[in-house]
Amino acid sequence: MLEQIARVMFWLCVGEIAARSGLLPLPAPVTGLILLYAELAVRGKLPDDLGVLADRLLQFLGMLFVPAGVGVIAYLDVLKAEALPILAAVIGGTAITLFVTMVVANWVGIAIARGPEQKPGRLKEEVRDVNS
Amino acid sequence: MSTLSQLTSLTWTSLAEKPVLETGATVFAFLAATRISRLGGNHPLLNPTLLAIVLISLGLEATHIPYETYLRGSDAIHFMLGPAVVLLAVPLFRQRSVIRASARLIAVGLAVGLPVGVLSAVGLAWVLGASSQTTLSLAPKSVTAGIAVGISEQIGGLQTLTIVLVIMTGITGAVLGPIIARLARIDDPRVVGLTMGIASHGIGTARALQINEVAGAFSGLGMGLNGVLTAILLPLIFGWFRF
Repeated sequence: MLEQIARVMFWLCVGEIAARSGLLPLPAPVTGLILLYAELAVRGKLPDDLGVLADRLLQFLGMLFVPAGVGVIAYLDVLKAEALPILAAVIGGTAITLFVTMVVANWVGIAIARGPEQKPGRLKEEVRDVNS
Repeated sequence: MSTLSQLTSLTWTSLAEKPVLETGATVFAFLAATRISRLGGNHPLLNPTLLAIVLISLGLEATHIPYETYLRGSDAIHFMLGPAVVLLAVPLFRQRSVIRASARLIAVGLAVGLPVGVLSAVGLAWVLGASSQTTLSLAPKSVTAGIAVGISEQIGGLQTLTIVLVIMTGITGAVLGPIIARLARIDDPRVVGLTMGIASHGIGTARALQINEVAGAFSGLGMGLNGVLTAILLPLIFGWFRF
């Protein structure tokens, strides 16, 4: 388990170095996520302990936002003064995003399902994945 | 009376120098919030993170502890966000065969959902006269909070404001997602799940999991890929605008 914690911290640190040196305009954890995924893809398999670690920590992911979220009480005035644009952007924007994305993705999904040449290719890829 | 309050305030201050109290309070508040949420049948409006934020805020108000003291004290929990975001690679890796099998559908969902999500929020806020700081804080609203915080900081938004906007967006998507799917007569669980993950991250994913397992898997996928891609694209685009 310690090895997996070290693995996560290693990629997080690499991300931090990349961010602080100005090498990448990415938040350090996102760079860490990409690099960890790349490492797993190269290895081709997930270490058991890493899976356990991820499941345990991600189970209470919601708690980790609480400290930063509480800071919003300092910005209650902003929220009140700009309530209309904020609510419009959050509710209206999300409704627009859901509708447009669903309609377009559904159309593509139907098109894919109708394409006769698609299915054998998909099956082949799944078989290859089981073997690897 | 005054000596008592002096005494208690002294105790609070000395305890507040160590992060034990803030960390403990956060854990207990979240535990309580989870219980409340479960009692309410895990309704999206009873989001545990939002409930815990309200509980802590009320607690700080009641005890007159300045929120800066709380933020400093709860650093231990805030720190865990970094490793947790790195670990999001694990569920993504587990879904790699799904990603490959439905690559085209997922690519189209992201190509539409990501820009529409950002532009609709930024556009509406701008048209209705929001300040530039609020508008920037809104830009990553559809992204999972851990990543959105980093993006917000990078492009000049307010981290704390972004977190609350992200949670509000998640709740909105969780409530509206199934309703809009029904109105648009879309019943492909891959499409509904993927869209809810792209538009409303983890909170939408939790709701999609209640539809069925396929919707849940695609939602988690939409959330993860949208988060990573937005983190790559938004700072670049806002960087160009500034220079």
